[in-house]
Amino acid sequence: MRRRNFLQWIVTSTAVFAAGAIPFALNRLLAPAEHRLSRRHLKPPGALKSDAEFISACIGCGLCGEVCPPRCIQFHQRDGGAQVNTPYINPEQKACTLCGKCTEVCPTNALSPIAREKVDMGIAQIDRSACYPWVDRGICGACVSICPLGEEGINFKQWNQYQPVIQSGCVGCGLCVEVCPHPSLPIRIVERSQGRVMRHTVS
Amino acid sequence: MNKTPMNPTATNKAVHKPFFLWRHLNKLRWVSLTIVFTMLVLIPFLHVYQTYLAAHTYDLLSGSEKQIYNSMEWLSSPFVTDPEDQLDALKGNTWSGTFGSLQLSDPLAVLGHLVSSQTFYWPFILTALIPVILTVFFGRFFCGWICPATFLYELNSNLGILLRKSGLHIGNRRFDRRLKYLVLAIGLAIAVATGSAAFAAIYPPAIIGREIYYAIALGGFGSGVVFFLLTLLFDLLLSRRGFCRYICPGGALYSLLGRFRLLRIKRIVESCNDCAKCTAVCEFGLDPLHDHFGQECNNCSACIAVCPTEAMTFYLSPQDIANQGPGHLGRQYKQQNTAFNPAEKMAGEN
Repeated sequence: MRRRNFLQWIVTSTAVFAAGAIPFALNRLLAPAEHRLSRRHLKPPGALKSDAEFISACIGCGLCGEVCPPRCIQFHQRDGGAQVNTPYINPEQKACTLCGKCTEVCPTNALSPIAREKVDMGIAQIDRSACYPWVDRGICGACVSICPLGEEGINFKQWNQYQPVIQSGCVGCGLCVEVCPHPSLPIRIVERSQGRVMRHTVS
Repeated sequence: MNKTPMNPTATNKAVHKPFFLWRHLNKLRWVSLTIVFTMLVLIPFLHVYQTYLAAHTYDLLSGSEKQIYNSMEWLSSPFVTDPEDQLDALKGNTWSGTFGSLQLSDPLAVLGHLVSSQTFYWPFILTALIPVILTVFFGRFFCGWICPATFLYELNSNLGILLRKSGLHIGNRRFDRRLKYLVLAIGLAIAVATGSAAFAAIYPPAIIGREIYYAIALGGFGSGVVFFLLTLLFDLLLSRRGFCRYICPGGALYSLLGRFRLLRIKRIVESCNDCAKCTAVCEFGLDPLHDHFGQECNNCSACIAVCPTEAMTFYLSPQDIANQGPGHLGRQYKQQNTAFNPAEKMAGEN
Protein backbone atom coordinates (compact mmCIF):
# COMPACT_ATOMS: atom_id res chain seq x y z
CA MET A 1 0.00 0.00 0.00
CA ARG A 2 2.77 2.37 0.89
CA ARG A 3 4.63 1.43 -2.25
CA ARG A 4 1.57 2.16 -4.31
CA ASN A 5 1.30 5.59 -2.74
CA PHE A 6 4.93 6.23 -3.53
CA LEU A 7 4.49 5.18 -7.16
CA GLN A 8 1.42 7.36 -7.40
CA TRP A 9 3.37 10.29 -6.01
CA ILE A 10 6.10 9.74 -8.59
CA VAL A 11 3.62 9.55 -11.46
CA THR A 12 1.76 12.65 -10.30
CA SER A 13 4.86 14.75 -9.85
CA THR A 14 6.24 13.64 -13.23
CA ALA A 15 2.97 14.60 -14.86
CA VAL A 16 3.00 17.99 -13.14
CA PHE A 17 6.57 18.67 -14.26
CA ALA A 18 5.72 17.55 -17.77
CA ALA A 19 2.78 19.97 -17.78
CA GLY A 20 5.10 22.78 -16.74
CA ALA A 21 7.65 21.90 -19.41
CA ILE A 22 5.11 21.61 -22.25
CA PRO A 23 5.38 25.25 -23.42
CA PHE A 24 9.17 25.05 -23.67
CA ALA A 25 9.07 21.71 -25.45
CA LEU A 26 6.44 23.02 -27.85
CA ASN A 27 8.56 26.01 -28.67
CA ARG A 28 11.63 23.88 -29.30
CA LEU A 29 9.53 21.70 -31.57
CA LEU A 30 8.47 24.78 -33.55
CA ALA A 31 12.04 26.03 -33.92
CA PRO A 32 14.16 22.98 -34.70
CA ALA A 33 17.88 23.31 -34.20
CA GLU A 34 20.08 23.82 -37.21
CA HIS A 35 22.85 21.32 -36.80
CA ARG A 36 25.30 22.87 -39.15
CA LEU A 37 25.11 26.60 -38.87
CA SER A 38 25.42 28.26 -42.20
CA ARG A 39 28.71 30.10 -42.41
CA ARG A 40 26.90 32.81 -44.31
CA HIS A 41 25.29 33.85 -41.04
CA LEU A 42 27.33 36.59 -39.43
CA LYS A 43 26.74 38.01 -36.01
CA PRO A 44 26.00 41.76 -35.94
CA PRO A 45 28.95 44.06 -35.24
CA GLY A 46 30.15 44.37 -31.66
CA ALA A 47 28.76 40.97 -30.76
CA LEU A 48 30.22 38.84 -28.01
CA LYS A 49 32.96 36.67 -29.43
CA SER A 50 31.77 33.17 -28.66
CA ASP A 51 28.48 31.92 -30.07
CA ALA A 52 27.40 30.43 -26.74
CA GLU A 53 27.99 33.68 -24.88
CA PHE A 54 26.15 35.63 -27.54
CA ILE A 55 23.13 33.33 -27.41
CA SER A 56 22.96 33.47 -23.64
CA ALA A 57 23.23 37.26 -23.60
CA CYS A 58 20.64 37.90 -26.32
CA ILE A 59 17.08 38.24 -25.01
CA GLY A 60 15.48 38.17 -28.46
CA CYS A 61 13.87 41.61 -28.28
CA GLY A 62 14.58 42.46 -31.91
CA LEU A 63 15.71 46.02 -31.17
CA CYS A 64 18.88 45.66 -33.24
CA GLY A 65 16.77 44.82 -36.27
CA GLU A 66 14.37 47.67 -35.61
CA VAL A 67 17.06 50.34 -35.83
CA CYS A 68 19.09 48.87 -38.68
CA PRO A 69 19.00 51.45 -41.52
CA PRO A 70 19.70 48.98 -44.38
CA ARG A 71 17.47 46.38 -42.64
CA CYS A 72 20.24 43.82 -42.92
CA ILE A 73 19.73 42.22 -39.50
CA GLN A 74 17.55 39.17 -39.77
CA PHE A 75 16.45 36.72 -37.13
CA HIS A 76 16.32 32.99 -36.67
CA GLN A 77 12.55 33.03 -36.97
CA ARG A 78 11.65 29.40 -37.51
CA ASP A 79 14.88 27.59 -36.72
CA GLY A 80 17.92 27.73 -34.54
CA GLY A 81 16.81 25.74 -31.49
CA ALA A 82 18.34 27.51 -28.51
CA GLN A 83 19.30 30.50 -30.63
CA VAL A 84 15.80 31.10 -31.94
CA ASN A 85 15.07 34.85 -32.32
CA THR A 86 18.71 35.81 -32.19
CA PRO A 87 19.91 38.15 -34.95
CA TYR A 88 22.16 37.35 -37.85
CA ILE A 89 23.32 39.06 -41.02
CA ASN A 90 23.42 37.36 -44.36
CA PRO A 91 25.68 39.58 -46.48
CA GLU A 92 24.60 37.86 -49.68
CA GLN A 93 21.16 39.40 -49.24
CA LYS A 94 21.95 42.60 -47.37
CA ALA A 95 25.17 43.59 -45.72
CA CYS A 96 26.03 45.63 -42.66
CA THR A 97 27.07 49.24 -43.23
CA LEU A 98 28.88 49.46 -39.86
CA CYS A 99 26.71 52.35 -38.68
CA GLY A 100 26.74 50.96 -35.16
CA LYS A 101 23.13 51.77 -34.30
CA CYS A 102 22.40 48.20 -33.23
CA THR A 103 25.30 48.21 -30.79
CA GLU A 104 23.98 51.37 -29.18
CA VAL A 105 20.40 50.18 -28.85
CA CYS A 106 21.08 46.64 -27.60
CA PRO A 107 19.82 46.57 -24.00
CA THR A 108 22.11 43.72 -22.97
CA ASN A 109 25.81 43.10 -23.41
CA ALA A 110 25.18 40.92 -26.47
CA LEU A 111 26.13 43.84 -28.73
CA SER A 112 28.32 46.59 -27.35
CA PRO A 113 29.45 49.82 -29.00
CA ILE A 114 32.77 49.42 -30.70
CA ALA A 115 34.96 51.50 -33.01
CA ARG A 116 34.43 50.72 -36.66
CA GLU A 117 37.98 49.49 -37.17
CA LYS A 118 37.72 47.15 -34.17
CA VAL A 119 34.62 45.30 -35.37
CA ASP A 120 35.28 41.63 -35.92
CA MET A 121 32.59 39.86 -37.90
CA GLY A 122 35.15 37.80 -39.81
CA ILE A 123 37.30 38.59 -42.77
CA ALA A 124 36.65 38.59 -46.49
CA GLN A 125 38.19 35.81 -48.54
CA ILE A 126 38.63 35.86 -52.31
CA ASP A 127 38.45 32.88 -54.58
CA ARG A 128 41.01 33.94 -57.21
CA SER A 129 39.87 31.26 -59.60
CA ALA A 130 36.49 32.92 -60.07
CA CYS A 131 36.88 36.67 -59.48
CA TYR A 132 36.56 38.43 -62.88
CA PRO A 133 39.77 40.52 -62.78
CA TRP A 134 41.78 37.66 -61.30
CA VAL A 135 40.86 35.38 -64.21
CA ASP A 136 41.30 38.21 -66.70
CA ARG A 137 37.65 38.51 -67.58
CA GLY A 138 37.29 42.23 -67.55
CA ILE A 139 37.55 44.98 -65.01
CA CYS A 140 35.32 45.24 -61.96
CA GLY A 141 36.47 46.75 -58.66
CA ALA A 142 32.99 46.80 -57.14
CA CYS A 143 34.25 45.37 -53.84
CA VAL A 144 37.03 47.94 -53.60
CA SER A 145 34.80 50.90 -54.29
CA ILE A 146 32.09 49.85 -51.78
CA CYS A 147 34.39 49.05 -48.86
CA PRO A 148 33.51 51.40 -45.96
CA LEU A 149 37.04 51.10 -44.57
CA GLY A 150 38.74 52.18 -47.77
CA GLU A 151 42.29 51.09 -48.39
CA GLU A 152 42.61 49.47 -44.98
CA GLY A 153 39.97 46.92 -45.92
CA ILE A 154 40.57 46.01 -49.52
CA ASN A 155 42.76 47.34 -52.27
CA PHE A 156 43.87 46.51 -55.79
CA LYS A 157 46.96 44.46 -56.27
CA GLN A 158 48.38 47.29 -58.33
CA TRP A 159 46.75 50.62 -58.73
CA ASN A 160 45.22 50.07 -62.16
CA GLN A 161 44.92 46.34 -62.26
CA TYR A 162 41.53 45.54 -60.89
CA GLN A 163 42.53 42.44 -58.97
CA PRO A 164 41.30 42.92 -55.37
CA VAL A 165 43.41 41.97 -52.38
CA ILE A 166 41.99 41.88 -48.88
CA GLN A 167 43.97 43.95 -46.40
CA SER A 168 44.44 43.17 -42.72
CA GLY A 169 42.06 45.95 -41.71
CA CYS A 170 39.03 44.12 -43.12
CA VAL A 171 36.35 43.71 -40.43
CA GLY A 172 34.03 41.39 -42.35
CA CYS A 173 31.04 43.68 -42.82
CA GLY A 174 30.18 41.88 -46.06
CA LEU A 175 29.34 44.86 -48.26
CA CYS A 176 31.77 43.46 -50.88
CA VAL A 177 29.81 40.20 -50.86
CA GLU A 178 26.57 42.08 -51.42
CA VAL A 179 27.86 44.00 -54.44
CA CYS A 180 29.92 41.24 -56.05
CA PRO A 181 28.47 40.77 -59.55
CA HIS A 182 29.78 37.25 -60.00
CA PRO A 183 26.99 34.69 -59.57
CA SER A 184 29.14 32.27 -57.57
CA LEU A 185 30.27 34.99 -55.17
CA PRO A 186 34.03 34.51 -55.22
CA ILE A 187 34.26 36.83 -52.22
CA ARG A 188 32.83 35.68 -48.92
CA ILE A 189 33.16 36.32 -45.20
CA VAL A 190 35.00 33.64 -43.23
CA GLU A 191 36.61 33.24 -39.85
CA ARG A 192 39.73 35.33 -39.47
CA SER A 193 41.87 32.20 -39.10
CA GLN A 194 40.84 30.88 -42.51
CA GLY A 195 42.87 33.46 -44.38
CA ARG A 196 42.18 36.06 -47.03
CA VAL A 197 42.77 33.91 -50.08
CA MET A 198 40.72 30.81 -50.71
CA ARG A 199 42.88 27.72 -51.00
CA HIS A 200 41.73 25.01 -53.34
CA THR A 201 42.77 21.64 -52.04
CA VAL A 202 42.20 18.44 -53.90
CA SER A 203 41.56 15.55 -51.61
CA MET B 1 -20.29 33.95 8.10
CA ASN B 2 -21.19 37.20 9.72
CA LYS B 3 -22.01 36.32 13.30
CA THR B 4 -22.47 39.79 14.73
CA PRO B 5 -26.06 40.84 14.53
CA MET B 6 -26.29 44.35 13.23
CA ASN B 7 -29.02 46.83 13.33
CA PRO B 8 -30.27 47.27 9.75
CA THR B 9 -30.68 50.99 10.36
CA ALA B 10 -26.92 51.18 10.98
CA THR B 11 -26.24 50.15 7.41
CA ASN B 12 -28.17 53.11 6.14
CA LYS B 13 -25.67 55.59 7.45
CA ALA B 14 -23.25 56.97 4.90
CA VAL B 15 -21.35 54.04 3.40
CA HIS B 16 -18.13 54.69 1.58
CA LYS B 17 -18.77 55.45 -2.07
CA PRO B 18 -15.99 54.77 -4.58
CA PHE B 19 -14.57 57.73 -6.45
CA PHE B 20 -16.85 58.14 -9.45
CA LEU B 21 -14.09 57.91 -12.09
CA TRP B 22 -12.96 54.48 -10.99
CA ARG B 23 -15.81 52.73 -12.68
CA HIS B 24 -14.62 54.26 -15.95
CA LEU B 25 -11.04 53.11 -15.52
CA ASN B 26 -11.79 49.96 -17.45
CA LYS B 27 -12.36 52.07 -20.56
CA LEU B 28 -9.06 53.82 -19.95
CA ARG B 29 -7.48 50.41 -19.67
CA TRP B 30 -8.80 49.48 -23.09
CA VAL B 31 -7.47 52.74 -24.46
CA SER B 32 -4.06 51.90 -22.99
CA LEU B 33 -4.09 48.37 -24.39
CA THR B 34 -5.12 49.67 -27.80
CA ILE B 35 -2.41 52.33 -27.82
CA VAL B 36 0.28 49.79 -26.91
CA PHE B 37 -0.86 47.38 -29.59
CA THR B 38 -1.14 50.13 -32.21
CA MET B 39 2.36 51.30 -31.41
CA LEU B 40 3.66 47.76 -31.81
CA VAL B 41 2.21 47.79 -35.32
CA LEU B 42 3.30 51.35 -36.13
CA ILE B 43 6.92 51.06 -34.99
CA PRO B 44 7.84 48.40 -37.60
CA PHE B 45 6.16 50.46 -40.31
CA LEU B 46 8.07 53.53 -39.17
CA HIS B 47 11.25 51.48 -39.31
CA VAL B 48 10.48 50.42 -42.86
CA TYR B 49 9.92 54.08 -43.70
CA GLN B 50 13.30 54.90 -42.14
CA THR B 51 15.03 52.28 -44.25
CA TYR B 52 13.47 53.76 -47.39
CA LEU B 53 14.74 57.17 -46.31
CA ALA B 54 18.20 55.82 -45.58
CA ALA B 55 18.40 54.29 -49.03
CA HIS B 56 17.04 57.41 -50.82
CA THR B 57 14.90 55.04 -52.75
CA TYR B 58 11.47 56.62 -53.16
CA ASP B 59 11.50 56.45 -56.95
CA LEU B 60 12.30 52.75 -56.92
CA LEU B 61 9.48 51.77 -54.57
CA SER B 62 6.51 49.77 -55.73
CA GLY B 63 2.99 51.06 -55.29
CA SER B 64 2.30 49.56 -51.89
CA GLU B 65 5.73 50.53 -50.63
CA LYS B 66 5.08 54.10 -51.74
CA GLN B 67 1.84 53.95 -49.79
CA ILE B 68 3.75 52.92 -46.65
CA TYR B 69 6.25 55.72 -47.28
CA ASN B 70 3.58 58.35 -47.78
CA SER B 71 1.40 57.36 -44.86
CA MET B 72 4.32 57.09 -42.47
CA GLU B 73 5.63 60.43 -43.68
CA TRP B 74 2.22 61.92 -43.02
CA LEU B 75 2.04 60.33 -39.57
CA SER B 76 5.50 61.29 -38.41
CA SER B 77 5.93 64.71 -40.00
CA PRO B 78 4.13 66.63 -37.21
CA PHE B 79 6.51 65.20 -34.63
CA VAL B 80 9.91 65.00 -36.25
CA THR B 81 11.90 67.11 -38.64
CA ASP B 82 14.58 64.52 -39.41
CA PRO B 83 12.68 61.21 -39.39
CA GLU B 84 15.65 59.08 -40.37
CA ASP B 85 17.38 59.79 -37.06
CA GLN B 86 14.70 61.12 -34.78
CA LEU B 87 12.36 58.17 -35.19
CA ASP B 88 14.98 56.05 -33.45
CA ALA B 89 13.73 57.58 -30.22
CA LEU B 90 10.78 55.20 -30.13
CA LYS B 91 11.81 51.62 -30.72
CA GLY B 92 11.21 48.16 -29.47
CA ASN B 93 8.34 46.40 -27.77
CA THR B 94 7.16 45.58 -24.29
CA TRP B 95 9.91 42.98 -23.90
CA SER B 96 12.52 45.69 -24.19
CA GLY B 97 12.20 49.12 -25.68
CA THR B 98 13.61 52.61 -25.85
CA PHE B 99 11.61 55.76 -25.32
CA GLY B 100 13.94 58.61 -26.04
CA SER B 101 16.80 58.16 -23.62
CA LEU B 102 14.79 55.86 -21.38
CA GLN B 103 15.24 52.14 -21.79
CA LEU B 104 12.66 49.83 -20.28
CA SER B 105 12.68 46.05 -20.11
CA ASP B 106 10.42 43.38 -18.83
CA PRO B 107 11.60 42.08 -15.43
CA LEU B 108 11.30 38.58 -16.87
CA ALA B 109 13.79 39.51 -19.61
CA VAL B 110 16.23 40.69 -16.97
CA LEU B 111 15.72 37.59 -14.86
CA GLY B 112 16.18 35.35 -17.90
CA HIS B 113 19.30 37.22 -18.97
CA LEU B 114 20.68 37.01 -15.44
CA VAL B 115 20.38 33.25 -15.20
CA SER B 116 21.28 32.38 -18.78
CA SER B 117 24.39 34.56 -19.07
CA GLN B 118 25.21 34.39 -15.35
CA THR B 119 26.63 37.88 -15.36
CA PHE B 120 25.40 41.03 -13.67
CA TYR B 121 25.16 43.49 -16.51
CA TRP B 122 23.93 46.53 -14.60
CA PRO B 123 22.89 48.74 -17.53
CA PHE B 124 20.41 46.04 -18.47
CA ILE B 125 19.27 45.17 -14.95
CA LEU B 126 18.49 48.84 -14.29
CA THR B 127 16.16 48.99 -17.29
CA ALA B 128 13.74 46.82 -15.32
CA LEU B 129 13.87 49.09 -12.28
CA ILE B 130 10.86 51.22 -13.18
CA PRO B 131 8.62 48.24 -14.07
CA VAL B 132 9.63 46.47 -10.85
CA ILE B 133 8.88 49.53 -8.71
CA LEU B 134 5.53 50.00 -10.43
CA THR B 135 4.75 46.32 -9.92
CA VAL B 136 5.53 46.53 -6.22
CA PHE B 137 2.99 49.36 -5.97
CA PHE B 138 0.34 48.31 -8.46
CA GLY B 139 0.77 44.52 -8.57
CA ARG B 140 0.26 42.70 -11.80
CA PHE B 141 -0.82 45.88 -13.62
CA PHE B 142 1.29 45.02 -16.67
CA CYS B 143 -0.96 42.04 -17.39
CA GLY B 144 -4.10 44.13 -17.42
CA TRP B 145 -2.97 47.49 -18.72
CA ILE B 146 -0.03 47.10 -21.09
CA CYS B 147 0.52 43.52 -22.24
CA PRO B 148 -0.22 43.33 -25.99
CA ALA B 149 -1.20 39.70 -25.55
CA THR B 150 -3.90 40.71 -23.07
CA PHE B 151 -5.42 42.83 -25.82
CA LEU B 152 -5.79 39.75 -28.02
CA TYR B 153 -6.63 37.36 -25.19
CA GLU B 154 -9.49 39.55 -23.98
CA LEU B 155 -10.87 39.83 -27.51
CA ASN B 156 -10.46 36.07 -27.65
CA SER B 157 -12.49 35.53 -24.50
CA ASN B 158 -15.16 37.84 -25.92
CA LEU B 159 -15.21 35.57 -28.97
CA GLY B 160 -15.59 32.65 -26.57
CA ILE B 161 -18.68 34.32 -25.08
CA LEU B 162 -20.10 34.74 -28.58
CA LEU B 163 -19.45 31.08 -29.35
CA ARG B 164 -21.11 30.08 -26.11
CA LYS B 165 -24.13 32.19 -26.92
CA SER B 166 -24.39 30.56 -30.32
CA GLY B 167 -24.69 27.21 -28.61
CA LEU B 168 -21.20 25.77 -28.81
CA HIS B 169 -20.02 23.86 -25.79
CA ILE B 170 -16.74 25.40 -24.76
CA GLY B 171 -14.80 24.01 -21.87
CA ASN B 172 -13.93 26.22 -18.96
CA ARG B 173 -11.53 24.02 -17.10
CA ARG B 174 -9.73 25.12 -14.02
CA PHE B 175 -6.22 24.02 -13.26
CA ASP B 176 -3.95 24.71 -10.35
CA ARG B 177 -2.95 28.36 -10.33
CA ARG B 178 0.48 27.42 -9.01
CA LEU B 179 1.36 25.76 -12.32
CA LYS B 180 2.70 29.06 -13.68
CA TYR B 181 5.22 29.30 -10.86
CA LEU B 182 6.41 25.86 -11.87
CA VAL B 183 6.69 27.05 -15.50
CA LEU B 184 8.75 29.99 -14.25
CA ALA B 185 11.02 27.66 -12.29
CA ILE B 186 11.40 25.21 -15.17
CA GLY B 187 12.14 28.09 -17.54
CA LEU B 188 14.88 29.33 -15.22
CA ALA B 189 16.31 25.82 -15.03
CA ILE B 190 16.27 25.52 -18.84
CA ALA B 191 17.88 28.95 -19.18
CA VAL B 192 20.68 27.89 -16.85
CA ALA B 193 21.15 24.52 -18.49
CA THR B 194 21.07 25.59 -22.15
CA GLY B 195 22.26 29.18 -21.75
CA SER B 196 19.49 30.57 -23.92
CA ALA B 197 16.62 32.95 -23.44
CA ALA B 198 13.99 30.28 -22.82
CA PHE B 199 11.30 32.75 -21.75
CA ALA B 200 11.53 34.98 -24.79
CA ALA B 201 10.23 32.16 -26.95
CA ILE B 202 7.14 31.32 -24.89
CA TYR B 203 6.20 34.65 -23.33
CA PRO B 204 3.28 36.06 -25.36
CA PRO B 205 4.03 39.80 -25.09
CA ALA B 206 7.59 39.15 -26.25
CA ILE B 207 6.31 36.90 -29.03
CA ILE B 208 3.78 39.45 -30.25
CA GLY B 209 6.11 42.44 -30.29
CA ARG B 210 8.67 40.44 -32.19
CA GLU B 211 6.36 38.67 -34.60
CA ILE B 212 4.62 41.88 -35.66
CA TYR B 213 8.04 43.26 -36.52
CA TYR B 214 8.96 40.07 -38.41
CA ALA B 215 5.73 40.13 -40.36
CA ILE B 216 5.94 43.79 -41.35
CA ALA B 217 9.64 44.39 -41.86
CA LEU B 218 11.09 40.97 -42.59
CA GLY B 219 8.27 39.60 -44.66
CA GLY B 220 7.00 36.66 -42.66
CA PHE B 221 5.96 35.39 -39.27
CA GLY B 222 8.26 33.21 -37.24
CA SER B 223 7.52 30.12 -35.23
CA GLY B 224 6.35 32.14 -32.23
CA VAL B 225 3.10 33.01 -33.92
CA VAL B 226 2.19 29.31 -34.13
CA PHE B 227 2.80 29.01 -30.41
CA PHE B 228 0.67 32.06 -29.77
CA LEU B 229 -2.17 30.72 -31.91
CA LEU B 230 -2.04 27.50 -29.89
CA THR B 231 -2.42 29.49 -26.69
CA LEU B 232 -5.37 31.35 -28.22
CA LEU B 233 -7.02 28.01 -29.02
CA PHE B 234 -6.24 26.75 -25.52
CA ASP B 235 -7.93 29.82 -24.07
CA LEU B 236 -10.88 29.64 -26.41
CA LEU B 237 -11.68 25.94 -26.23
CA LEU B 238 -10.29 24.65 -22.95
CA SER B 239 -9.90 27.30 -20.34
CA ARG B 240 -10.83 30.98 -20.42
CA ARG B 241 -7.68 33.10 -20.15
CA GLY B 242 -5.99 29.83 -19.25
CA PHE B 243 -2.54 30.82 -20.45
CA CYS B 244 -2.35 33.95 -18.29
CA ARG B 245 -3.85 32.21 -15.31
CA TYR B 246 -1.98 28.94 -15.30
CA ILE B 247 1.06 29.02 -17.58
CA CYS B 248 2.45 32.50 -18.20
CA PRO B 249 5.90 32.76 -16.54
CA GLY B 250 5.79 36.54 -16.70
CA GLY B 251 2.47 36.57 -14.92
CA ALA B 252 4.04 34.36 -12.27
CA LEU B 253 6.93 36.78 -11.80
CA TYR B 254 4.62 39.80 -11.66
CA SER B 255 2.37 37.99 -9.18
CA LEU B 256 5.31 37.30 -6.91
CA LEU B 257 6.61 40.87 -7.20
CA GLY B 258 3.15 42.28 -6.59
CA ARG B 259 2.31 40.01 -3.72
CA PHE B 260 2.44 42.86 -1.20
CA ARG B 261 1.26 45.52 -3.60
CA LEU B 262 -0.17 48.68 -2.11
CA LEU B 263 -3.01 49.38 -4.52
CA ARG B 264 -5.75 46.82 -4.13
CA ILE B 265 -9.40 46.44 -4.92
CA LYS B 266 -11.80 45.76 -2.10
CA ARG B 267 -15.46 45.01 -1.79
CA ILE B 268 -17.53 47.44 0.23
CA VAL B 269 -19.63 44.85 1.95
CA GLU B 270 -22.25 47.40 3.01
CA SER B 271 -23.27 48.13 -0.57
CA CYS B 272 -22.79 44.66 -2.05
CA ASN B 273 -25.90 42.76 -3.06
CA ASP B 274 -24.27 39.39 -3.87
CA CYS B 275 -25.08 39.59 -7.58
CA ALA B 276 -21.73 37.90 -8.40
CA LYS B 277 -21.23 39.90 -11.59
CA CYS B 278 -17.70 40.71 -10.42
CA THR B 279 -16.83 37.04 -10.14
CA ALA B 280 -18.33 36.37 -13.56
CA VAL B 281 -16.47 39.21 -15.24
CA CYS B 282 -13.08 38.55 -13.65
CA GLU B 283 -10.78 37.49 -16.45
CA PHE B 284 -8.39 35.84 -14.05
CA GLY B 285 -10.99 33.63 -12.41
CA LEU B 286 -10.66 35.31 -9.04
CA ASP B 287 -13.62 35.59 -6.72
CA PRO B 288 -14.15 39.25 -5.77
CA LEU B 289 -17.54 38.40 -4.32
CA HIS B 290 -15.81 36.47 -1.57
CA ASP B 291 -12.88 38.89 -1.35
CA HIS B 292 -10.48 36.39 -2.88
CA PHE B 293 -8.21 38.81 -4.75
CA GLY B 294 -4.77 37.61 -3.81
CA GLN B 295 -1.53 38.23 -5.66
CA GLU B 296 -2.99 37.31 -9.04
CA CYS B 297 -5.31 40.32 -9.25
CA ASN B 298 -4.04 42.66 -11.95
CA ASN B 299 -6.06 45.72 -10.90
CA CYS B 300 -7.81 45.70 -14.26
CA SER B 301 -10.87 47.27 -12.59
CA ALA B 302 -13.35 45.25 -14.65
CA CYS B 303 -15.17 44.30 -11.43
CA ILE B 304 -15.42 47.97 -10.45
CA ALA B 305 -16.89 48.80 -13.83
CA VAL B 306 -19.44 46.01 -13.76
CA CYS B 307 -20.67 46.40 -10.17
CA PRO B 308 -24.29 47.65 -10.24
CA THR B 309 -24.25 48.92 -6.63
CA GLU B 310 -20.85 50.65 -6.60
CA ALA B 311 -19.52 48.20 -4.07
CA MET B 312 -16.01 47.86 -5.48
CA THR B 313 -13.28 50.38 -4.89
CA PHE B 314 -9.54 50.86 -4.77
CA TYR B 315 -7.75 51.21 -1.48
CA LEU B 316 -4.18 51.31 -0.26
CA SER B 317 -3.01 48.45 1.88
CA PRO B 318 -0.32 45.79 1.68
CA GLN B 319 -2.84 43.09 2.49
CA ASP B 320 -6.23 41.96 1.31
CA ILE B 321 -9.24 42.03 3.54
CA ALA B 322 -10.38 38.58 4.64
CA ASN B 323 -13.74 37.32 3.50
CA GLN B 324 -16.30 39.84 4.73
CA GLY B 325 -19.26 37.53 4.33
CA PRO B 326 -22.40 38.15 2.28
CA GLY B 327 -23.15 41.65 1.04
CA HIS B 328 -25.43 43.70 3.22
CA LEU B 329 -27.89 44.36 0.43
CA GLY B 330 -28.16 40.69 -0.44
CA ARG B 331 -30.84 38.25 0.53
CA GLN B 332 -28.51 35.97 2.48
CA TYR B 333 -27.35 38.71 4.83
CA LYS B 334 -30.92 39.89 5.48
CA GLN B 335 -32.10 36.39 6.26
CA GLN B 336 -29.22 35.80 8.65
CA ASN B 337 -29.79 39.03 10.48
CA THR B 338 -33.50 38.65 10.76
CA ALA B 339 -32.90 35.13 12.04
CA PHE B 340 -30.73 36.54 14.79
CA ASN B 341 -33.07 39.40 15.58
CA PRO B 342 -36.67 38.17 15.45
CA ALA B 343 -37.80 41.44 16.97
CA GLU B 344 -36.38 43.38 14.04
CA LYS B 345 -38.16 41.08 11.66
CA MET B 346 -41.45 41.74 13.38
CA ALA B 347 -40.79 45.44 13.30
CA GLY B 348 -39.97 45.24 9.63
CA GLU B 349 -43.23 43.45 8.87
CA ASN B 350 -45.24 46.01 10.69
